[in-house]
Amino acid sequence: MTMNIIETSGLGKRYGSTWALRECTLAIPAGHVAALVGPNGAGKTTLLNLAVGLADPSAGGVTVLGDKPAGSPAALDGIAFVAQDTPLYKNLSAADMLHLTRNLNRRFDQRYAESRLGELGIPLNRKAGKLSGGQQAQLALTLALGRRPRLLVLDEPVAMLDPVARHDFMATVLTAAADDGVSVLLSSHVLAELERVADYLILLSLGRVQVAGEVDGLLACHRLLTGPAAEADRYTERPVVHARRGQAQAHLLVRAGADDPVPPGWETHPVDLEELVMAYLREPGAAALPGPARGRALPPETGEPSEVTR
Amino acid sequence: MYSDQHLRVSDAEREAVCARLAEHFAAGRLDQAEFDDRVGRAMSAKTRADLRGLFADLPETGAPAVPELPRGGGGTPGDGPRGPGSPIEFRLDAASGVPTYLQLVHQVEHALRLGYLTLGDQLPKVRDVVASLAINPNTVLKAYKELETKGLTAGRPGQGTFIQATLGQVALPELAGLRKSLLGWLGTADAAGLDQDGIVALFTSALRDFYKRRGGTAERRGAAGGGTEDVA
Repeated sequence: MTMNIIETSGLGKRYGSTWALRECTLAIPAGHVAALVGPNGAGKTTLLNLAVGLADPSAGGVTVLGDKPAGSPAALDGIAFVAQDTPLYKNLSAADMLHLTRNLNRRFDQRYAESRLGELGIPLNRKAGKLSGGQQAQLALTLALGRRPRLLVLDEPVAMLDPVARHDFMATVLTAAADDGVSVLLSSHVLAELERVADYLILLSLGRVQVAGEVDGLLACHRLLTGPAAEADRYTERPVVHARRGQAQAHLLVRAGADDPVPPGWETHPVDLEELVMAYLREPGAAALPGPARGRALPPETGEPSEVTR
Repeated sequence: MYSDQHLRVSDAEREAVCARLAEHFAAGRLDQAEFDDRVGRAMSAKTRADLRGLFADLPETGAPAVPELPRGGGGTPGDGPRGPGSPIEFRLDAASGVPTYLQLVHQVEHALRLGYLTLGDQLPKVRDVVASLAINPNTVLKAYKELETKGLTAGRPGQGTFIQATLGQVALPELAGLRKSLLGWLGTADAAGLDQDGIVALFTSALRDFYKRRGGTAERRGAAGGGTEDVA
């Protein structure tokens, strides 16, 4: 039985009279790399801050690592968080940052952290502010992983990085997931890379959860239908998430499996993650949430990491 | 004795000289520029006299005529014993539209067909694939599970995943016959006015129909998505 690494129920956060997040009910199982996507102002950072205990909910509740209340000492020990723009004390050296992190935490794997920085070629005596952007991100990530967390939370970790630094940063994150079974929750704008990285998706829109589920399951229950524009409105077999039409031709992204019937004269194609996310982002009213009726067209082994990784 | 300096040098001699230079280079007695320069002089040498002086400032090495190739460099696939680790390296084509795990599966099948992988070879370790491609570990596990389901690989606990079957290959003479009849058909299609894209489209759709009627034989033979490669 897998525990939920993050579970929220009716979670909401209000700043003044504005709800940054509301009625958020989620259960992310352990062992995933979960991506949190959504437009600016959708509530991504708010949700992450609530999960790591940096903010208190205005409504509902959130637990992490099974059933530990967010922000409790037991929760804090098992979670590492790298905030937006990987903040560091720019005037401290890498060695000082290690020293500080070791002394501010109950658990810190100094040997791991030092050997990682060595592998990355980050000089210990260099001030953090003098490191390159990629190195600063890697230093912040090393400090987080040195705490040997069971959940790693990253807020827009790669937004500022060049392609090589981005690749190396994500390789470090995913290697930690492969080696130690660390669960990961990261928010990102870089849709194109999500499909490689994430196997669980949460899409927030206007402060609400719009889509949540395992990527394989989501892709298996969506199809792209292409056919004559004149008939597009007559398609009612399955819910249409988003429609794009020209004068003669229309593309419908629908909630349907590969085996669902296709109207005569229409072509059907599988969708990729980017297409799926874009369709939902353009239709804030549509939703695909896990529930009793949720289809699982793929074999059940797809989600769980097996012993091989450990 | 004193007059061999005008003898013409053979290619074998030139190569032997280069091998000795390479040894000096490897030992750090020559830098890159000196090495390149001397190799250039050796390769353009016509007589023994031209080779004289290349080693004047270097100690004797007694190098073998043929230098040892560095490990893992060169060699044809399926040739000789292999070192530890996997003979293949995965790559990803982001623009292909093929799911990542299927790309890995196809690359293993392709490597099996071309002989880069043979019985007993190890697939790259999961964490190494994750580290080099920055992809989700579950994706690699899914690909390896798929290969295991197809009977091509087997996992050994604590060691990794190894090739345990090759792809059902059609014998060479039979393949040549099939190729010949396909070329005949291509000639007919061309004469009928089909261009290359039209031929591919027709072939693909006929292939799909064929296997649909046969009930997924392509899947069983582990050639899913690669059916055309058997004929080409």
